[in-house]
Amino acid sequence: MTEQRGAETLRTYEEINEKITKGDAVVVTAEEFVTHVQDRGLDAVAKEVDVVTTGTFGAMCSSGAFLNFGHSEPPIKMSKCWLNDVPAYKGLAAVDAYIGASAMSESKGFDYGGGHVIEDLVSRKEVELRAEAYGTDCYPRKAIETTIVLDDLNQAALVNPRNAYEHYNAATNSTDRILYTYMGTLLPNHGNVTFSGAGQLSPLYKDRNLETIGIGTRIFLGGGIGHVIGEGTQHNPQNQFGTLMVCGDLKQMKQKYLRGATYYRYGTTLYVGVGIPIPIINLRAAESAALPDDQIFTNILDYGIPSRSRPVLGKASYAELKHGEVIINGRSVPTSPLSSFKYAEEIAEVLKRWMREGLFLLSRPADLLPNVKDFKPLEVRRHEPRVKDIMTVNVTIARPSHDIKTIANLIVRDGVDHIPIVNDDNRLTGIVTSWDLAKALAQGKKTLGEVMTTKVITARENESGDVVARRLAQYNISGMPVVDDEKRVVGIVTTDDLAKLLRK
Amino acid sequence: MKLRLFYTRDNVSNPVISSVVLKTKIPIGILEARVSLDGGEMVVDVPATGKTLDEVRELFQKSGVLTKEIKSLIEIDYEKCISCGACVSSCPVQAIKQNRQWEVELNEERCIRCLICVNACPVKAVRSP
Repeated sequence: MTEQRGAETLRTYEEINEKITKGDAVVVTAEEFVTHVQDRGLDAVAKEVDVVTTGTFGAMCSSGAFLNFGHSEPPIKMSKCWLNDVPAYKGLAAVDAYIGASAMSESKGFDYGGGHVIEDLVSRKEVELRAEAYGTDCYPRKAIETTIVLDDLNQAALVNPRNAYEHYNAATNSTDRILYTYMGTLLPNHGNVTFSGAGQLSPLYKDRNLETIGIGTRIFLGGGIGHVIGEGTQHNPQNQFGTLMVCGDLKQMKQKYLRGATYYRYGTTLYVGVGIPIPIINLRAAESAALPDDQIFTNILDYGIPSRSRPVLGKASYAELKHGEVIINGRSVPTSPLSSFKYAEEIAEVLKRWMREGLFLLSRPADLLPNVKDFKPLEVRRHEPRVKDIMTVNVTIARPSHDIKTIANLIVRDGVDHIPIVNDDNRLTGIVTSWDLAKALAQGKKTLGEVMTTKVITARENESGDVVARRLAQYNISGMPVVDDEKRVVGIVTTDDLAKLLRK
Repeated sequence: MKLRLFYTRDNVSNPVISSVVLKTKIPIGILEARVSLDGGEMVVDVPATGKTLDEVRELFQKSGVLTKEIKSLIEIDYEKCISCGACVSSCPVQAIKQNRQWEVELNEERCIRCLICVNACPVKAVRSP
């Protein structure tokens, strides 16, 4: 017989809360639970333990706060508003705003964003408020500049649409340059692997069937008490990519657990501390809470491919990732986390202490979260030019045996700037540009070998114009051969081709 | 020992480092150079201590290049640090490790002052002094 999801067969929420109130509840952290189960078996431990506490502390970009500033005299219906020069969303009533973690300062850019505003508010620092309005009969004021502190605000609710990813992909970089991503700094040629998520402390992984976490679950949020208010955006639990939407009173929270952050050349975000109690209401909940790091796996993706579907280069358990190295293409690669295990452990400990001291009671969810949910992509329904639509197909090429005078003649004859050098199979071996020839003349270089670039930046037919334009800018070049899987030249795409698009 | 060298307009065009290397036979590595014809600063690694190091510094001084010892290449502000690990694997020479408590520790000996960790730190807890 299969019992219903969320069945309270081992103990009920009321029974646990009664024990918490009396100071009798058996509460352990997820890490302690894992060890106990390994030592004494699931059934025995599940009978004893009432609650398992979890924790995570990582960068959670889908975070932010609803603020109500109160009314000035004369009042204003703010249409645009900035906090320490970071734009806040003003498509709400007159003095309500939403400050999002990834919004960036208009003057400081990457160095300061919405996440930092939230940290400064929680730190009780003064924050500059600036707003504009068009003025109405009931709200005549058209501009305001003042300072606020958290306690001045009527409400400050941290409402995060997507927090506490159940687990996350690990990242590496196959290209020959450093990448700065939301997965941190990725060294060239698979120089490192970064990963995120709390592994065996992860709130959602510890309740992977979603037996207990639901709408209304009381949680640790940013050092205060908050609630789960629904499934998070991109919730995809059947692939262990469950997420949560959470809410809590910013005024109760602590700066320690809400930290504004910047991912270099990516953007600003907010590190959020989330801790969730998993009541051991049935054996399935116990089984999931007992999952150790070596049974929690994640894929290692190549962030060198700037596509929605990045190639999977391998699979690793959180035990391996936490140990500090994984094997990619037969080579050992150092790994390190982006989310803080130190804080995750601490959050699970704090939540445990709260319950042992009777300060935190469990809430039975009003509704459980869906345990199956598709994560759909965004289809682009308008035509977007791809490389094959804009490239020049008739490419002037030369052979490695040609001398540079021949190549100079080709450049003049065909009025081109780039000559791919291909071997007899039409495979790319190098490139010579008109600039290379000018340089050769200046420096007295004579042979093709001295002049040609052998490490050629290339494009593929199916890449989008945007991606190719970015690559040209990145390498400061004006054209790239387009190659197929066999490195055969099928065309050439230049800044001129891209410029034509703009004229259309 | 790492030294910061201060060049002026008058000596920036002179082969100061090469002369010191030739005289002392000590291989000096250049870790950072920000110089123009108007002068500038360099950070170099001098694999020497004590008297030998003093000799090297004196030679620089004589060529008009002032030197300053760099006690640490990178500083970690543990008040700000959240022990995340973003600086750890991004270090190309594995000079930063996390201990059992997940706290980051810098191995000064290995550090090459590439400053990748300074940028990689999401909370600006890693600085170059």
